[in-house]
Amino acid sequence: LKLHRRFALLWALVVCLLIGHNAYLWGSGRVVPDTDILALLPVQERDPVLQQSFSRMVDAAQQRVVVLVGAPDWDSAGRAADAYQAVLAKQPGLLALTVLGKDTERDWLAPFQHNALGLMSSAQEAQLATEPPQFWADTALSRLYSAFSGPKLGAFRDDPFGLFSGWVQERAQETPVRPRDGHLFVASKDMQYVLLPLVLKPPAFALSTQQAVMPLLDSANAAARAAAPKVEIISAGVVLHAAAAGTQAEGEVSTIGIGSLIGIVLLMWLTFHSFKPIGLILLSIGVGFLGALSVCLLLFGRIHLLTLVFGASLIGVAQDYGIYFLCNRLGADRAIDSVRLLRRLMPGLLLTLVAAVIGYMGLALTPFPGLRHMAVFSALGLIFAWLTVLAWFPLMVGAGSLHSGAFGARYAASIVGWPRLGWNKASLISLTIVALLVAAGWSRLGVNDDIRSLQTPPPHLVADQIKLSRLLDAPTPVQYFLVRGSDGEQVLQREEALKHRLDPLVTAHKLTGYQAISNWVPSAKADAARRALVNDKLLTDTGPLQLVAKQIGEDAAWIAATRDHLQRNGASMTPEQFLAAPAGEPWRHLWLGRHGDTHASIVALRGLDRAGLEQLRHAGDGIEGVQWVDKISEISSVLGRYRMVMGWVVAGAYLLVFGLLLPRYGRNAWRALAPTALASLITVAAFGLAGQPLQLFHVLALMLLLGVGVDYGIFMQESRGKDGATPWLAIGLSAANTILSFGLLGLSRTPALQAFGLTMLAGTALVWLIVPCFAQTKEQIDG
Amino acid sequence: MFVKLCRLAAIAALALPLGAQAAAPLAAIQAMLAKPAVLCGRFDQTKTLAGMKKPLLSQGRFCVVNGKGVLWRTLKPFPNTLRLTRDEIVHFQGERVAMRLDAKQEPTVRMINSVLFSLLSGDLGKLDTLFEVDGSVDNGSWKVALKAREPALAKAIGAISLDGAAYVRNIHLNEASGDRTDIVFSDIKTGEGAISAEEAALL
Repeated sequence: LKLHRRFALLWALVVCLLIGHNAYLWGSGRVVPDTDILALLPVQERDPVLQQSFSRMVDAAQQRVVVLVGAPDWDSAGRAADAYQAVLAKQPGLLALTVLGKDTERDWLAPFQHNALGLMSSAQEAQLATEPPQFWADTALSRLYSAFSGPKLGAFRDDPFGLFSGWVQERAQETPVRPRDGHLFVASKDMQYVLLPLVLKPPAFALSTQQAVMPLLDSANAAARAAAPKVEIISAGVVLHAAAAGTQAEGEVSTIGIGSLIGIVLLMWLTFHSFKPIGLILLSIGVGFLGALSVCLLLFGRIHLLTLVFGASLIGVAQDYGIYFLCNRLGADRAIDSVRLLRRLMPGLLLTLVAAVIGYMGLALTPFPGLRHMAVFSALGLIFAWLTVLAWFPLMVGAGSLHSGAFGARYAASIVGWPRLGWNKASLISLTIVALLVAAGWSRLGVNDDIRSLQTPPPHLVADQIKLSRLLDAPTPVQYFLVRGSDGEQVLQREEALKHRLDPLVTAHKLTGYQAISNWVPSAKADAARRALVNDKLLTDTGPLQLVAKQIGEDAAWIAATRDHLQRNGASMTPEQFLAAPAGEPWRHLWLGRHGDTHASIVALRGLDRAGLEQLRHAGDGIEGVQWVDKISEISSVLGRYRMVMGWVVAGAYLLVFGLLLPRYGRNAWRALAPTALASLITVAAFGLAGQPLQLFHVLALMLLLGVGVDYGIFMQESRGKDGATPWLAIGLSAANTILSFGLLGLSRTPALQAFGLTMLAGTALVWLIVPCFAQTKEQIDG
Repeated sequence: MFVKLCRLAAIAALALPLGAQAAAPLAAIQAMLAKPAVLCGRFDQTKTLAGMKKPLLSQGRFCVVNGKGVLWRTLKPFPNTLRLTRDEIVHFQGERVAMRLDAKQEPTVRMINSVLFSLLSGDLGKLDTLFEVDGSVDNGSWKVALKAREPALAKAIGAISLDGAAYVRNIHLNEASGDRTDIVFSDIKTGEGAISAEEAALL
């Protein structure tokens, strides 16, 4: 007893330290949970070039907020956009508008004009190869005589055949956005939009950013509406999704936390008719939570919001130890003092802790950093709560201090008539039926590893996103081609080979276009070929120039002068020169540059049609160094692989726990494990029958279910040969609470959490109901 | 990214920067212009190009139909037609369509068309949003110099000057590159009868 007092005192010291540390953490504002949903994704050790391309494309997209302010007429749209902007300008540190510089880019076309000879649209390149000299002479003459023949860049003699104009026009069509009246302008059939490209200054995934940005955007929206009543505002950006997910998760934290607490309080009061046990259990959970938070922050320096969501769920499990002790105290002889009772319960308590920690540690085996944190957080919480029960409960709950209520007694009595499994007809029939159902369910089970099922953005965000990408025709950041080569020239050549394969798909409307550095800087090889083509087909003494000269009454000297003028063009730019120039700025993310021995670039795709995806992904087949990258399916396949791996981990955990139980329960060890295993099988079968495809989060829940369910088996086995009322009460209380807390996760609108919750709900309920069936009654043991 | 792209587009196609207030002489010029619903006539164009000894002469007919668009038909020395309507610009080289730009593809098409429409009909109020307009009125005729407000645009199209009375009589385009275009309008007719059946079918 003395030893225990000392232990309790020591533990009180530890708890004081925890409280102090937590007070410091909360007081100094260090507890700011992450809401970055990407932090839940696996960190893959893989191809560094591919990784870099991912971060380039994601970086380019992540901090952007794009807003379209539209109205049926341009003036209202402009007015609304100005009002919108005025609100944003009040907080310049948050969202910055990418402004239209007037003078800086005045001469940006100049470097291209200086080597324009090799620049032409791909259609013109094809025409050069096929069309006769007369065609080009006609083209030049019509350019010569018409007053308004479309855009003209420089003098006639700089571009007599309109090749450079064609190239510039082709480049302009890489975006439908145009400047107009100092705004950026884009139009749909009946709406005129002002485009406001915004850059978020603080990181999009910080909770504080989301809390500041959302109200700002709301008031900007209101201001725009006030300025022009018919305004339509379309906004998109990663931060909007992050904020929506964050709000949802926050809401769910409080529902789960509060729901779980109310459940516990209600059940405990009904059982013990006293608030003391509730207080004690809350105390153990509180210490568990504080301890987990302290250690996690010390270990990782930060904590993810979803870790906290699971922390809230932890309440449902950490109570088992307290409940188990209290129920045993209730049922035990008053002659036994609490410390001795604890010593008697120790093996069972230890087993339940180890089994649960094994269950949680299964989460740590996943590739998701968020889930690893959750595993550590949960396991730590359990250990702290468990130690609290051990240290304090025996001293605070003396013999005879608890009295059972009528509710608890009536429930506990229900164990007596519970059906038991044995070598009889009824057991065999019910087992056969269950086996058939399980087989039927499993045979129908589908799988779904789509990453998009991890999150459900609000429908209005999705609708805006779709509208926006249609209007802006911007490339997707998640699907593109990665092109590699031994040097820049080879990369450009391979891009060109790829583009050659993409052109027919553009014609077939499978995509609207592509963005690539080689659009701006042709490879030296292509440049030389085009120059040769121009020299050959257009600039010879007997070619189109001569036909033109004849028509306009010029002589051989003019032909020679024009040719010399055109050929005076310098060499074409290198990609590095282009990227360093102002014109290259919007395209820098496409050029990955040197990476060890390889050079790499991205070919981005605009206006992807889902129907054409299958064709598109094979467009680069056979071109060396060209790789199709699809981040969505990439991640989905990782999820799928880990679902498989986790399945094996669960199976392995069963074996491990069985090994753990074997020394203590011998040939009855299976009885502690079978209810959980059976409940898991039935739960999964139910998903199969309900047509819900299995995903990683179902399997993760099965892992957790093992940790929870095996407790109940252990409780039952620990009181083998007795009437079982005491463990039955503990199981009932604990299972009801687990269901309350995890069942609430089943209400989550996040499909992943919902899958997790539903599995826990069904699984825990089933374990609860069938665990007595596997325990032997006194008669069975005696007989 | 969009911004840079757009600067490119600003040059590839015309852009419209913020307009200023119309100056006083402009009101007087506006009052002198007839602004008929249909306006057709003959044009004679002289192009003086850098590196060429002789100027290039051409002539043809043009029609400006309010609410429909502009038809610009070069008849000599080569048949060559430009048609500008609300949603597209089509360039016929003889019978062949040499170029077609539609508004869906190139959103500035509508703006280009409205500028050309304004230019040919002398609608200075609209041109004012795009150009610095410097005008003078003298004895029943007027003269106007246009300078693009957007530097990039100024570089692409250079200086424009117009003169006329009830209708635009002359247009001079002076490009920064040294190329120069002078257009003289004559034989101007207005009203429904001004446009021939052939032209009406084309527009």
